[in-house]
Amino acid sequence: MQHRASIGMIVLAAALCTPTATQAFDDAKYPALTGQWTRAIVPGAVGQPPFDPARPPGRGQEAPLTPEYQAKFESTLAERAASGLGDVVSTTCLAPGMPMMMQAYEPMQITVLPETTYILIDHIHESHRRIFTDGRAWPKTVQPSFTGYSIGKWIDEDGDGRYDVLEAETRYFKGPRFFDSSGIALHEDDESVIRERIYLDKADRNLLHDEITVTDHALTRPWTVMKNYRRTLDPLADWPEYICNEQIPFIHIGNDTYKVSEDGYLMPTRTRQPPPDLRYFNQPKK
Amino acid sequence: MPYRTLLSVAVVLTLCVMTVDSEAWDESKYPDLKGQWVRAEGAGGVGRFDPTKPPGRLQEAPLTAEYHVIYEANLADQARGGQGIDPTYRCLSPGMPRIMHAYSPLEIVVTADTTHILIEHIHDSRRIHTDGRDWPEDMDDNPMFAGYSIGRWIDEDGDGRYDVLAVETRGLKNPRTYDASGIPFHEDGRTIIKEKIYLDKANPNLLHDEITTIDNALTRPWTVIKNYRRVVTDKPIWWREDICAENNVHVIVGKEDYFLSADGFLMPIKKDQPPPDLRYFKQSGK
Repeated sequence: MQHRASIGMIVLAAALCTPTATQAFDDAKYPALTGQWTRAIVPGAVGQPPFDPARPPGRGQEAPLTPEYQAKFESTLAERAASGLGDVVSTTCLAPGMPMMMQAYEPMQITVLPETTYILIDHIHESHRRIFTDGRAWPKTVQPSFTGYSIGKWIDEDGDGRYDVLEAETRYFKGPRFFDSSGIALHEDDESVIRERIYLDKADRNLLHDEITVTDHALTRPWTVMKNYRRTLDPLADWPEYICNEQIPFIHIGNDTYKVSEDGYLMPTRTRQPPPDLRYFNQPKK
Repeated sequence: MPYRTLLSVAVVLTLCVMTVDSEAWDESKYPDLKGQWVRAEGAGGVGRFDPTKPPGRLQEAPLTAEYHVIYEANLADQARGGQGIDPTYRCLSPGMPRIMHAYSPLEIVVTADTTHILIEHIHDSRRIHTDGRDWPEDMDDNPMFAGYSIGRWIDEDGDGRYDVLAVETRGLKNPRTYDASGIPFHEDGRTIIKEKIYLDKANPNLLHDEITTIDNALTRPWTVIKNYRRVVTDKPIWWREDICAENNVHVIVGKEDYFLSADGFLMPIKKDQPPPDLRYFKQSGK
């Protein structure tokens, strides 16, 4: 009798301490993605990061572009060579959008909650990527955005009761968007579909992978690349604030881009560029 | 035997406490701040730092005489068509505490070590560190519009659940104003902002943020209460993307502000405003 009472007390104690689903979010079921992630350095790489980190930038990416979009890319390269403009996104302060934002130009934070995984990157646009993991279906109407609308699903691939991979699909985009700063453009119909598999490296838990596959009408086939991120081991790492309009000296008037000089005057960005049309100002009488 | 039983129970309880502590974050200890929050005063509260008072001079900001003069000069410029000292037309972040106007809906993401306040406006999101850290040594060398926020969760009524997030924000960057009318902060950037963020006791869909600002442009600390209403819906919530640079009609050249007309030409914003100096362009021969 005493023995049965003892077992009963132990079982009761164990039952009382079991957290219920409504009381606690069991973050132990999810991979530990806390901390700060930065783009993994590719040995020998120089300049702005390309879409595919495994290949050289620009033409070296060998993007599987349709002839029309290959011609556009060549035209962009020629224009940039003539103008000296740095790249195609940071002169405008428009959001890089998906998939370019996953270059992680600035540190990235991933916050996992049961209904949503947040990917926060403060670069050009202060991006809050929300990947909805609450089982929702695609909405019937979505206002397009540079970041797109993402639905994800956590997967326990090895059956150990813990999730290993976040699979995400992103649709409903707005343009202009580019794969990288060299100017490889996505199709202007904005019908891209981007699929991702985000997971920690099995051997190195401070290494994160994002396998990105882009399906887009500017491409002859889906284009898959692997992005890699390193965890910053400093728990007090800085989260810098990136205010694009503080950083760039470019302004856009009509279809033309100009520069503002350090002494505060309007400047051309290419040789023989005409000044802006000032028809709305009272011109001095001659 | 009873002793052994008690020991067994103690071991089970100890193990289970360790398991819960190390594996699960107990979100039931925190107030339920999930969902989408909008300014409780609706459109009527737009642009007011103190939502209980009318905008502009009627806010009765407790400014020092020196900063009252600066404010009046700013109002005079606005009356002539200028922007005064409000920096947001340049797509600069409103900064703290103006961020908490909630120009766009806000989401509060609570985790054990950080509470994120996500607002899609110009550059309005915040990270409130609740991991017990101290102010960073280099905080004043890297000021930010949102500032550096350290928070502490408080169980005010001793029921084992947190009720209030007490926050202090320092390390702020200029230019900032309290509102669009241009109520100024001191140029020394030494503002300290203290907040108490809590759910209304009678209405869990009403959130309060008591904000006290201490600034050398003020004769005394200025306390206001901002209120936010939770959007109650059984449908997935829509989060809009807001790209300031996409729709901005202001063009700044040096210290002058111009408009961009709908047909893509530069326009004056003030009567008899001269056009920009084009000295860096090669003028066509006359």
